[in-house]
Amino acid sequence: MHRIPVAAAFVLAAGLARADTYAVDPTHTFVHFEARHFGISTLRGRFDRKEGTIRFDRAAKTGRAEITIDLASVSTGVVALDDLLRSPDHFNVAAHPTASFVGERFGFDGDKVREVAGTLTLLGRTMPVTLAATNFNCYTNPLFKREVCGGDFEATIVRSQWGMTRGLDAGVPDRIRLLVQVEAVRQ
Amino acid sequence: MITPTRLAWMLLAATAVAQAAPTAYRLDPDNTRVHFEVLHFGTSTSRGRFGGVAGSIQFDAAARRGEVSIEIDTASVSTGLAPFDSVLRRADMLAAQAHPKAWFVSRRFVFDGDRLVGVEGDFTLKGITRALVLRTGHFGCQPHPQRQRELCGGDFETELKASEFGLTYALPFTSDRVRLVIQVEATRD
Repeated sequence: MHRIPVAAAFVLAAGLARADTYAVDPTHTFVHFEARHFGISTLRGRFDRKEGTIRFDRAAKTGRAEITIDLASVSTGVVALDDLLRSPDHFNVAAHPTASFVGERFGFDGDKVREVAGTLTLLGRTMPVTLAATNFNCYTNPLFKREVCGGDFEATIVRSQWGMTRGLDAGVPDRIRLLVQVEAVRQ
Repeated sequence: MITPTRLAWMLLAATAVAQAAPTAYRLDPDNTRVHFEVLHFGTSTSRGRFGGVAGSIQFDAAARRGEVSIEIDTASVSTGLAPFDSVLRRADMLAAQAHPKAWFVSRRFVFDGDRLVGVEGDFTLKGITRALVLRTGHFGCQPHPQRQRELCGGDFETELKASEFGLTYALPFTSDRVRLVIQVEATRD
């Protein structure tokens, strides 16, 4: 009865041993969000501080991505709106300073990442989110002389699933589009 | 039943009929932004925005005419990375000191039936002027939910080539093709 899990653990360990570790490049990793405003125009904001690590095995087509966003770094270009978003009515950064995405299932299209399925933890709740790739590529950065992998990913989340319900009755949309730029440098 | 919103619409419609002349609108700076997008090493999209956008619009939906004049503070560029912003403001990039403003001016609003589908105008950056067509993603007018005024707004996008405006420092690491994504809201004067 114990033999199968032990064997499985060896296979998993071997798989992880082959995976390379990539450090998220904070200068080319951003999460932008989009929300329709008054039903007529699209408001865009972003988070400026984040960190993360990605383990990625292109040959085995496996990976694990962990990205943590500092919610207090929200930036819309309008100070009063940033303050409102940080308040207990929205991100409640005093109680929940970060949001984190953990992606554990990498879907591939050939040797390119097509999607990353995982979970997003926000306001203390963890719910499934799948990021769909619109761009993916690996290249050798001429400055670092290292391999960099990255791309653009999108997801539309329903904020009430994380208990973010403020403004729903006033027409602030429940559906928020996320535009995620990621580049990570092989360590 | 005549709800307050419905009443506002009726009053708005009545005003629109009475008014044949173009109506003036002022841009709402809190809900007007220009984002730019460039592809970095053919891999991921780097974004930034200009928050300092001001201007006025003359719009006549019935006559399907409009004019717009927008000025953008080049120093308001914001990527979320202070060192990047400093590079972008430099003399060999946006030259924010010598050219503190960029302008978009149009007298040609393009309609498909009653629907605004584009705005054709001239864009001036670093003293260089090029024709630019903004495509309408979404556009609408409605009573402002908080102010007793009409609100018009929408999303527009266009592309330009950085090199045409002398912005060559980051080439070829970033794409010459720059996508602009524009949020606009304007309230009636």
